[in-house]
Amino acid sequence: MIQFDQVSKRYEGGHEALSQLSFEVPSGEMAFVTGHSGAGKSTLLKLLGLIERPSHGVISMDGKSLAKIRHGGVPKWRRRIGMVFQDHRLLMDRTVFANVELPLVIGTVAQAERARRVRAALEKVGLLACERQLPATLSTGEQQRVGIARAIVARPSLLIADEPTGNLDPQLALEIMGLFGEFQQLGTTVLIASHDLPLIKRMKRRVIVLDHGRLVADLAAQEVL
Amino acid sequence: MAPESHPAAAADAPSRNEHSRSRRFAGWREHHGWSAGASLRRLAARPLGSLLTITVMGLALALPLAFYLLLGNVQKLGDALGQSQAISVFLQPGQGAQQARLLADELGGRPELSGVAIKTPQQGMDELARMQGFSGALQSLGDNPLPFVLELRPRPDATAPVLERLVAEVRAMQGVQMVQDAGSWRQRLDALLAVGNRAVQVLASLLALAALLVVGNTVRVDIASRSEEIGVLLLLGASGAFVRRPYLYAGIWYGLLSGLLAAALAIMIEFALAGPVARLSQAYQGKLQVGGLPLWLLLAVPLAAAALGWLGARLVSAWQLRKAA
Repeated sequence: MIQFDQVSKRYEGGHEALSQLSFEVPSGEMAFVTGHSGAGKSTLLKLLGLIERPSHGVISMDGKSLAKIRHGGVPKWRRRIGMVFQDHRLLMDRTVFANVELPLVIGTVAQAERARRVRAALEKVGLLACERQLPATLSTGEQQRVGIARAIVARPSLLIADEPTGNLDPQLALEIMGLFGEFQQLGTTVLIASHDLPLIKRMKRRVIVLDHGRLVADLAAQEVL
Repeated sequence: MAPESHPAAAADAPSRNEHSRSRRFAGWREHHGWSAGASLRRLAARPLGSLLTITVMGLALALPLAFYLLLGNVQKLGDALGQSQAISVFLQPGQGAQQARLLADELGGRPELSGVAIKTPQQGMDELARMQGFSGALQSLGDNPLPFVLELRPRPDATAPVLERLVAEVRAMQGVQMVQDAGSWRQRLDALLAVGNRAVQVLASLLALAALLVVGNTVRVDIASRSEEIGVLLLLGASGAFVRRPYLYAGIWYGLLSGLLAAALAIMIEFALAGPVARLSQAYQGKLQVGGLPLWLLLAVPLAAAALGWLGARLVSAWQLRKAA
């Protein structure tokens, strides 16, 4: 379970991106974090990825406070979570296979096992045939799916995605969201930051609404119209 | 697009926590191999830049080697010209073996001397006869005109002022015709060589620092050009050591290759000096044994340069990655 308890984040210069945010996401749940630009969606995900640290409050996962993870423990923490970015963050000089393989190389997984897992992940996102291609030869939607395969290949317990469908057409965006739904059904906790309200409504999942860093609504799946 | 199971589960692989230590070690070793290969390929991918870096480093390392070679040979030249620092005491003509022995006993007790040898006129004549060009002239002499000579061997720790005082005292002794201090010029040469050696050490340190900075700057530029990749790796959970590894291998390659170049240049300098030195040696009846750099040094230079490259890369990559993290 992810818990945010009175979490605030104030950047240097005084801008408060998050203010006394409290909510819980049970393990295995899929939730959207939405709000206008500057609402604090990305900051929230950055706090989970330990890219940023909160100014106040406690973030914990399965009862363990993230504040206790020191600088040297950050890589180990990040290996436990999968991250999907709007701009994919793929290495363009490496093949699709090599990109997806990265978390397993970092995790010192043996070569034969890596190959099996990478192919399984690529099959899952429907890109097994493209494993030898460079990302630049793929469409934007395919590149995003490579990013998703990379995020799930190490079998993370938490998957966070920052505007994963920002550059995609509605049909493709729905397919990508469907993929996230499948991972959630397999037990992965999924947290997606998105401002695509029509898409969020179609997914019928829990929605956490932020405005200027404050929690203004926490809607259960059945409350989403 | 949507198979039934979780991808990792579908791969039927154990979770990360179940990896045995040996598997992790195998993965770690594999990444070392990959890093070594990938960094070498990166060097080969930009041949001109790599060649320039290696050449600059190689020249910087070859320079102290060349000076070391030069100083070593000047020292050997000094050895050839004066085998020892012996002080030769020529007795007056007419001084016999008994006087020579008495004087030798008196001088033998001096603390600044390790020994005194008596060279008889006949021994002196035999020595001259062995020298090229003298045998004919000696045959024309009737009697042996050479005097008894005492060879004083100073202790190695005897200082120049002490020996100068000794020479002055011996000159004033009765029965002494002349004192030839072969050690004084040798001491001056040794002092000059000591200055030269120290200068080479300082130069070598400065040039090693320059080589370290060259590697450091090259790695800094390399890291800066791959900052995006490094950012992605860090987000995916790569440790600092993991990210640094290819750059450390790059530093090792730069160092190793420039060390090999420096050793090759030193050997070329040796070959270039071989002809003139052989002619100089002939002029001294083959006494001059000029040598090259020892094999251990030629082998140590690439290894030390590789360590230097690693150090430069380590310092810069740690600093750059702290900024990126």
